[in-house]
Amino acid sequence: MWDLLARSLEASTIFLFAALGELVDQRSGVLNVGLEGLMLFGGTAAFITAQTTGSYPLGFLAGLAVGGLLGLAHAFFSITMRGDQVVSGMGIWILSFGLTTYIGSAYTGPLGLERIQPIFGLSPFVLVSFVLVAATWFVLFRTSVGLAIRSAGENPAAAEASGIPVTTVRYLCVIFGGVMAGLAGATYSLSYNPVWTYNFLMGWGFISLALVFFSMWNPWILLAGATMFGIMWQLSLSPELVLPGVLSRYVWRMVPFAVTIPILVVISTSWFRTRWGLAKPEALGRPYVKG
Amino acid sequence: MRVGRYELKLEPRPSPGPVYAVLAAVMAIVLALALSSVLFLPADTDLFSAYRAVFSYAFFNPRGIVATVQRSIYLLLCTYAFLVPLRAGLWNIGLPGQVFGGALAAFAIPFLAPALPPWLAIVLMVAAAAVAGGGVGAFAGYLRARLQVNEILVTMMLNSILFWLVAYMIKEGGLFMGETAEGEGFSLAASLQAPMLLGVPFTALLALAAAVVLDLLFAKSALGYRIRAFGENPAAARYGGILPVRISVLVFFLGGAFAGLAAYHNFAAIPGVYKIPGNYGFYGDLAFYGIISALIARGSALGAVPIAILFAGLSLGARFAQGMLGLPFGVDYALLGLLMMTFVGSHILYQFRIVRRRIPVEDAAAPAKLPEG
Amino acid sequence: MHGAEPLLAARRITKRFPGVLALDHVDLEVGSGEIHAVLGQNGAGKTTLMNILFGLVAPDAGALYLRGRHVSFGSPHDALVQGIGMVHQTRRLVSAHTVMENIVLGHPRARGVLNLRRARREVEALCTRYGITVDLRARVWQLSEGERQWVEIVKALYRGVAILILDEPTSALTPPEVESLLAGLRAIVADQGVTVLLVTHKLPIVMAVSNRVTVLRSGRVVARLRTADTTQETVVKHMVGREVMFRTAESAGRLGSPVLEIDDVSAYNDKGLLALWGVSLSLREGEIVGVAGVTGNGQEELAQVLAGLRPAASGTVRFEGRDVTHRSPLERWQMGIGYVPAERTEVASIGAFSLVENTTLNYHFDRAFIRSGLLDEAGLGRLTERILSSYSVKAPNAHVPAQHLSGGNLQKLILGRVLSRRPRLLIAHLPTQGLDVEAAAFVRATLLEARANGAAVLLISEDLDEILALSDRVAPIYEGRFGGILPRAEADPETVGAMMAGLHTNAGAG
Repeated sequence: MWDLLARSLEASTIFLFAALGELVDQRSGVLNVGLEGLMLFGGTAAFITAQTTGSYPLGFLAGLAVGGLLGLAHAFFSITMRGDQVVSGMGIWILSFGLTTYIGSAYTGPLGLERIQPIFGLSPFVLVSFVLVAATWFVLFRTSVGLAIRSAGENPAAAEASGIPVTTVRYLCVIFGGVMAGLAGATYSLSYNPVWTYNFLMGWGFISLALVFFSMWNPWILLAGATMFGIMWQLSLSPELVLPGVLSRYVWRMVPFAVTIPILVVISTSWFRTRWGLAKPEALGRPYVKG
Repeated sequence: MRVGRYELKLEPRPSPGPVYAVLAAVMAIVLALALSSVLFLPADTDLFSAYRAVFSYAFFNPRGIVATVQRSIYLLLCTYAFLVPLRAGLWNIGLPGQVFGGALAAFAIPFLAPALPPWLAIVLMVAAAAVAGGGVGAFAGYLRARLQVNEILVTMMLNSILFWLVAYMIKEGGLFMGETAEGEGFSLAASLQAPMLLGVPFTALLALAAAVVLDLLFAKSALGYRIRAFGENPAAARYGGILPVRISVLVFFLGGAFAGLAAYHNFAAIPGVYKIPGNYGFYGDLAFYGIISALIARGSALGAVPIAILFAGLSLGARFAQGMLGLPFGVDYALLGLLMMTFVGSHILYQFRIVRRRIPVEDAAAPAKLPEG
Repeated sequence: MHGAEPLLAARRITKRFPGVLALDHVDLEVGSGEIHAVLGQNGAGKTTLMNILFGLVAPDAGALYLRGRHVSFGSPHDALVQGIGMVHQTRRLVSAHTVMENIVLGHPRARGVLNLRRARREVEALCTRYGITVDLRARVWQLSEGERQWVEIVKALYRGVAILILDEPTSALTPPEVESLLAGLRAIVADQGVTVLLVTHKLPIVMAVSNRVTVLRSGRVVARLRTADTTQETVVKHMVGREVMFRTAESAGRLGSPVLEIDDVSAYNDKGLLALWGVSLSLREGEIVGVAGVTGNGQEELAQVLAGLRPAASGTVRFEGRDVTHRSPLERWQMGIGYVPAERTEVASIGAFSLVENTTLNYHFDRAFIRSGLLDEAGLGRLTERILSSYSVKAPNAHVPAQHLSGGNLQKLILGRVLSRRPRLLIAHLPTQGLDVEAAAFVRATLLEARANGAAVLLISEDLDEILALSDRVAPIYEGRFGGILPRAEADPETVGAMMAGLHTNAGAG
């Protein structure tokens, strides 16, 4: 049972890393629907690097770097070129989905390194994720940097008129989002499930994206949501631990996805929105044109 | 950027003409092909032979041509599935889910009513596939229009749900499991296999007719106008009396129905298949080619026909060359990714142009005389 | 300016936008500690000039001098560092944030961890000094337009600006709010030695507070005047270039049967708050009723409820005797309700569509233009050509995208399109906002013509002069309620202005 909980928390960590980056990204006004792609590419790069060099740190570094680079590409297209952010995000996802399948196929199979050791029975990343949630919350809501980020996402014209370099702020946030997605992918492929298969994420990135909407752009609610989904995901993989023999394992695999849809529906109702206020960044998804 | 006395600037192209659209499409494809030469580097042979292997299998080898035609029909129907909602400004990335839904519904007909006369069973299979695919799509369309639920997330969740639903139905004792119990669906009786016209399934006719009808719909009809207006500016469309919910549900239903038809074609009309295969997930992935061909064709169904044929041939040829040249798995996936990348790149060049402007030299004319207060 | 060096000087500023020479060798000199007005009509180049002074727009040619030193601003940040602040015509505040968060945003001393408590004490002191009452803990969206403007001014003062640019500061204020703004400005200039650059097209304000005036016309400086030495008439002559007088339209006199009856209608805004509080009004054929009010007092909700774009929370709307409260926008178009929304490019037109396709927006449901599901393109083309010529829309042809039209031409196209349906009821929301004088005059004449043809017109405007010039009855609106419905004869500017500010309300409905 403890084992299941520990695994669940590690799964939550992956949702959390990806969603936390996307949260900051969206708070600055940029939507990146290609989250799954960033995670896939980051995870694959981390896996290949770690296997080739035999070094976990290098593997993680590669994952972060690749995530950051893809974030940069998204930033360039959506901020500098003022392109459609959905086109760019979807482009990054399909690009990563296609290329990682090809690049990684030679590495299909287990990582073959000694597993990363847990601390007090928990993956070390769980602790890292708690720290990151607290830090993200603090920066966003208690510092001038956070105020600048939130303003860039709410009303970039007002931010610019107050002397905030909106373009720079947005670039940094999108790159941060990419790095975090790379970290999420690397945590998956190096620690949570260190076996490379094609399209190994199978929807984790999209669930993380849904979690950001669910969190109403608040890191603490995000933590709760990610924990819930981590547990649900782990249960869907091994339902026999709790409910042996009930329903096929294939039906259980549907559960996390099937739960996401009603959650998305509830948070979209006007009842919910008027009750909780509109936390959605006003300028989310809209390119900013100076002047 | 300043170069000497000139200033170089990227400016939005005022209204890009059709020539630019074709140019951008051709550029995206050529660039992707050029980039894919990197994929052939691990091969034991030179680049030229590698490309030749891809193209000669896809478009000159008798077996390859047949396979290309079959796959073109599949990709073309998937293209429409993405294209129709796109014209209304909505992203239907639920193609795999709608394909799976269509496949299950089509095979439910012979499963539930094995005694039907074959012609009726075939008609019902086609209809069931379209309605089921459409239903899966319309669900996302309804949520989008009524509650502003993000359609990308909903369709993506549906993809995963239906992926596992198919596994549940065809594997480990599922209702649709085949006799060999190797994780495949049951095979269609010979009498229920789709009729062929000139050696290709009748679905080919459907796919080509749909191209003409869709382009006419968007260019000439009142309904097409409403869909386009909604896609360009939903607020203006609503102001003009267009009902957002109706449009959104309609385009997603139509899109899903095309994906359902694609499923019927792929699993019930291609000789040698006639069942839901164990690797059905691969066909779900393949459906994403539909996204790119619709994007590159810029929403023109007829324009998508040659693109879908090319992609069908490329993805098959790449698979073939992969075996022949000893390449890693997934050349066809890599091509998908490269095409998406070059599309996004060409999109920029399509919408922007580089402008060269002379920097004006400050003239030394005296300021005009003015009344002083 | 003789002898003393100007605090801020702009020399031979030229700025060209595609197709327009916005500024043509403009010189501007602002002395220390004065209130300097920049006066001109819409499109004269005032805002462009201010955006250049504030670093938002880069000039094509010319230079800026601050205290005699050449400066160039790449962004507002550079201007702020040099002590130049700007309050824009459209609010530059983050409405989801609190007032305090807005004030410290980008402030050089608010670095790292925010200490809002200390900042709040300082801002409170500043507010007390000028008698400004704004709740610093409130969220900006909860404030009135006048309060928001004060927040922007306080924000600039808190940054310690030496030069404060105010772009059309009175455009969204009620007359009493204008009074207190002007009093506050005088106090600030006297007390802090701040120099104010006041950009406006409203003459009385210039005459009331400014020390000197620079008049712009079509991108050129046409006059520099000392306010004390000049008269209103002289300034007008410079501003307009010729005599333009508003002619009050004669009422048609003969009123027909009621076309629109609104009974006790309430509606929520997008934030879920009640924005329209049980308003009642009736409108007869051949009549213009002007709803006068500052934007954000429920006018948009009213227009949308009438057009069917927003559900009424309670009450009924009758059109020609029939209850249409729950009818869709489509049904209302077909019945003969025409709506010209305030948002020309966002709602009333589709920029990427051709002019013909934009005409189709009001005809895609019309049986006269549909043959077996297909649109009659030739017929729609001819209709569009007719609209272009009879409403003198300047466009190369009917197939260019609508985004190529100027604001005035686009508005004429929209109005022509709606009127070509011969609506019995026309709802016109801010029909002349942002238009140049000629286009605005054309639009007003068109509204009068529609009235003469027997339509009932609901004119919703912020421009009191426009309301008084066109309306047969005036309904001042404040916080979602009509202050009363006055016959034109009783609607003098003072009464209506006071009602727009919610100062006194007459019971009664029309």
